[in-house]
Amino acid sequence: MISSFTKRHRKEKWFRRLGLASLFLALLFLGSIFGEIIYKGYPAFFRTVIARESGQISLLNPHARYHLSEAQEWIIASDDVDMYYKHGYVGKQTPTQIQTIEDLKKQGQIRLVFNTAFFTHSDSREPELAGIWGALIGSLLTLFITFLTAFPLGIGAALYLEEFASKTRFIHWIEANINNLAAVPSILFGLLGLVLFIHFMGLPRPSALVGGLTLGLMSLPVIVVTTRAALSSVPTALKEAALGLGATPLQVLFHHVLPTALPGMMTGVILSLARALGETAPLLMIGMVAFIGTPPSSFLDPTTVLPVQIFNWSRSPEMGFVENTSGAILILLFILVLLNGIAIFIRKRFES
Amino acid sequence: MDFKIDVKNLDLFYGDKQALFNISIGLPEFQTTALIGPSGCGKSSFLRCLNRMNDIVPNTRIQGQVLLDGRDIYAPSIDVVELRSSVGMVFQKPNPFPRSIYENVAYGPRIHGLFKNRRELDEIVEKNLRRAGLWEEVKDRLFQPATRLSGGQQQRLCIARAIAVNPEVILMDEPCSALDPIATAKVEELIDELREKFTIVIVTHNLQQAARVSQKTAFFHSGYLVEAGETGALFTTPQDNRTQGYITGRYG
Repeated sequence: MISSFTKRHRKEKWFRRLGLASLFLALLFLGSIFGEIIYKGYPAFFRTVIARESGQISLLNPHARYHLSEAQEWIIASDDVDMYYKHGYVGKQTPTQIQTIEDLKKQGQIRLVFNTAFFTHSDSREPELAGIWGALIGSLLTLFITFLTAFPLGIGAALYLEEFASKTRFIHWIEANINNLAAVPSILFGLLGLVLFIHFMGLPRPSALVGGLTLGLMSLPVIVVTTRAALSSVPTALKEAALGLGATPLQVLFHHVLPTALPGMMTGVILSLARALGETAPLLMIGMVAFIGTPPSSFLDPTTVLPVQIFNWSRSPEMGFVENTSGAILILLFILVLLNGIAIFIRKRFES
Repeated sequence: MDFKIDVKNLDLFYGDKQALFNISIGLPEFQTTALIGPSGCGKSSFLRCLNRMNDIVPNTRIQGQVLLDGRDIYAPSIDVVELRSSVGMVFQKPNPFPRSIYENVAYGPRIHGLFKNRRELDEIVEKNLRRAGLWEEVKDRLFQPATRLSGGQQQRLCIARAIAVNPEVILMDEPCSALDPIATAKVEELIDELREKFTIVIVTHNLQQAARVSQKTAFFHSGYLVEAGETGALFTTPQDNRTQGYITGRYG
């Protein structure tokens, strides 16, 4: 008897240890990924500038001649200078240029400043001038379209399926297919968007409209599934109480079911939008991969979004773009964490 | 003889499974009828037929008639919503809305438009909380969440909520099974008072409770109505062996 108890307790102890070990391993991976990204990305938020009075035009960025005419004290250096100044990395500079940089250092005519251009500029051929502004606006417009399509359609479909549809074979078939769609690889939704919106409807190619509609299609099944889960978790007792008082099914829905299910529904919508925000593959499929140097001013303008911008920069050989890639990833991660935080906040707020 | 509710040859099916077999019983007005029987005998299913609450369970089918004041409630011309406003229901587990005490009672009158102004609504809420014997306990915290009340108070609130829409019949599905003896006594007392104005049908597992609160008792067994009659007679001189077995505690 006693040995059987010790055996069982020992088994439990080992099982706990196993779980703890996997947790630590996962945290280790996560920590090293974040550490790497932050370590590589934070220098992107700083940029090397050179005092205009030094007159070292060859060390400035290629667009400096425009800035020289302006009354700026400090002018952004070229990416090679930036890399050397930050990391001591020698690229295309000649030994004399290196010497000049060292001289400027001694005279205090070269320094690091906060890289506002990274947030206010759009994409550029020059890494030291490239920024995420255009991609950020593009992401916002695209996400807006995604929300407009996926939210009403998804909630509507879920409400109908959960609360009104009679459970016929056809409905079961539709339900099963929606669940399957939620697991379909996102790149296939890109194909669908390509055929449906570009070939068939002829909408302008790399626009926020097409991107948003495509991501909307992708988010739709996820929103349907999470909304239905939230609706079905509303206690039957609550519905019966209202029905027993002579409330119509619509009154039961609006007075009791929706208020109770709302936090769960909101969480699902926010999380699926967060997923859409970080999605790249379907957008590459519909051709949202072009170089876009200006922020879009309408839903039909050529647009790029944050993850696609990251993808584009990551393919560039210049060291400056490597830094920009990590910097943009940090921004994207920050937005995603923010969205997830809002989802958690809503859930906690309504639960109490 | 005229009954408030007259059930004739009622069969109930859940899918292919038949849950009730040929039930015929009359429920007298301004009396309490108790439905007793072992678990799974169909007494709750029968109760839910009386306000068509079984409609929300998929694949249910009904045969036979349930006449409320002589009108078949399963006739196509019957509005289920209207029916449920005249046949109220109190459930096994107290299920107040997650709103204030006041709003729980006011909800029915609100959706049926039973008042002209706020003052009238206040009066309706007070009257029904008084009828449910809850007013003195909650009058100072009407706008606090109903979920903070004790189980017994919640159940009396649910009764107040049910009677606030002026039903003619109140169905109670084991209303005391989740309550302690003191709360149970209060609810039983309440049932006795409510009988003056309402026709009550109560499902109970507790035979003493059936004997205490009801004037008529019906004994169900495996989907059949075995025996029904005046409560005193049924408990002292049951006609059927199964009834006798159940009330003397041989099974159930």
